[in-house]
Amino acid sequence: MSEREVMDKVVGILKPYVKNEVALAAVSPETNILDDLEVNSARLVDVILAFEDTFGIQVADEDADTVNTVGDAVKLICSKVH
Amino acid sequence: MGAIPLGIAARPASPELSLGSKLAVLLQREVSRLTAPIWMPSAVGVLWLGFDYEVVGMERLRARYRRIRSQSDAPLLICANHLTMIDSAIIAWALGSPGWYLFNYSAIAWNLPERRNFAYSPASDVLSYLMKCLPVTRGGERAAVADVLNRFVYLLSQGEVGMIFPEGGRSRSGRVEIETAAPGVGRVVTALPGCRVLCVYLRGERQETFGSVPARGERLHLRLALMHPRSRYFGLRGSRDVAQQIVAKLAEMERKHFDARKRRRGSRRSRSGARRDASAV
Repeated sequence: MSEREVMDKVVGILKPYVKNEVALAAVSPETNILDDLEVNSARLVDVILAFEDTFGIQVADEDADTVNTVGDAVKLICSKVH
Repeated sequence: MGAIPLGIAARPASPELSLGSKLAVLLQREVSRLTAPIWMPSAVGVLWLGFDYEVVGMERLRARYRRIRSQSDAPLLICANHLTMIDSAIIAWALGSPGWYLFNYSAIAWNLPERRNFAYSPASDVLSYLMKCLPVTRGGERAAVADVLNRFVYLLSQGEVGMIFPEGGRSRSGRVEIETAAPGVGRVVTALPGCRVLCVYLRGERQETFGSVPARGERLHLRLALMHPRSRYFGLRGSRDVAQQIVAKLAEMERKHFDARKRRRGSRRSRSGARRDASAV
């Protein structure tokens, strides 16, 4: 799976949790999930669990702590998938 | 509910924390303990005399807390519903007297207040330091939040008590909100094998929704329930499962609180009705 495909899937997973639709429309790897997309921090765990289910990976607590931006999520998923 | 008998040897291994961080929290604990004879009676004075609060059944609550503490060496985490900014102070006051705390200092719970509310100036920073707080920025950088949680877990593994509001913030609806369960609380519990959770439901008689502080002269009711949450899942899924179990317990306690309130009001109404009937006769 290419990074582009992972990115598209990540954005799709984030969509239901995003409060700032404008930021989502202009999403880039640098977009911060909590600050820019305004995803509730309590919901971030649901997002990461959705990553696990969608990509068939397991994310440890410590790995989850490294996810701040969309790019961080993509990088983490790619490192687990490949 | 009985406690899991865990001896000192069964205490969980301390989480990975640098020596510097360990020393920093232990230093904070000692500075807090040494200054407690000043700040603790002052804080109680503000609640009792300043706000004129009354905790219903305080002696019973304190006896129960003492019993829970003495039953086991296993880590103890207090999880409460959250309606006002001073809930943790009220709960601490309800569960022990200043005199008892001075000789049982680990029984005063460590808190994880939102930095923007409690550590926003040098003065509030000092106060939160003295009052066993580890300020955290909600939604802040994940690594920074994780570092605070690790310090918190370390303290609990050393026999200190901690307090968390598992809804993650004051309940905007005025009721326990199961869907806002913050997974951080589950992460703390799953990091501490055998961890006991003391659920505390707190509400004033006239308190209908969230606010800064309960109304002056409020009569405060507390309910306690000890639980040992477990999950068949691991990692994040396990943390979320445990957090949801705790918040569900708080929601159940809330239902019991309102049922009891309805019964109290019903019996008060029927008593006053009977008095009216008697005076009419």
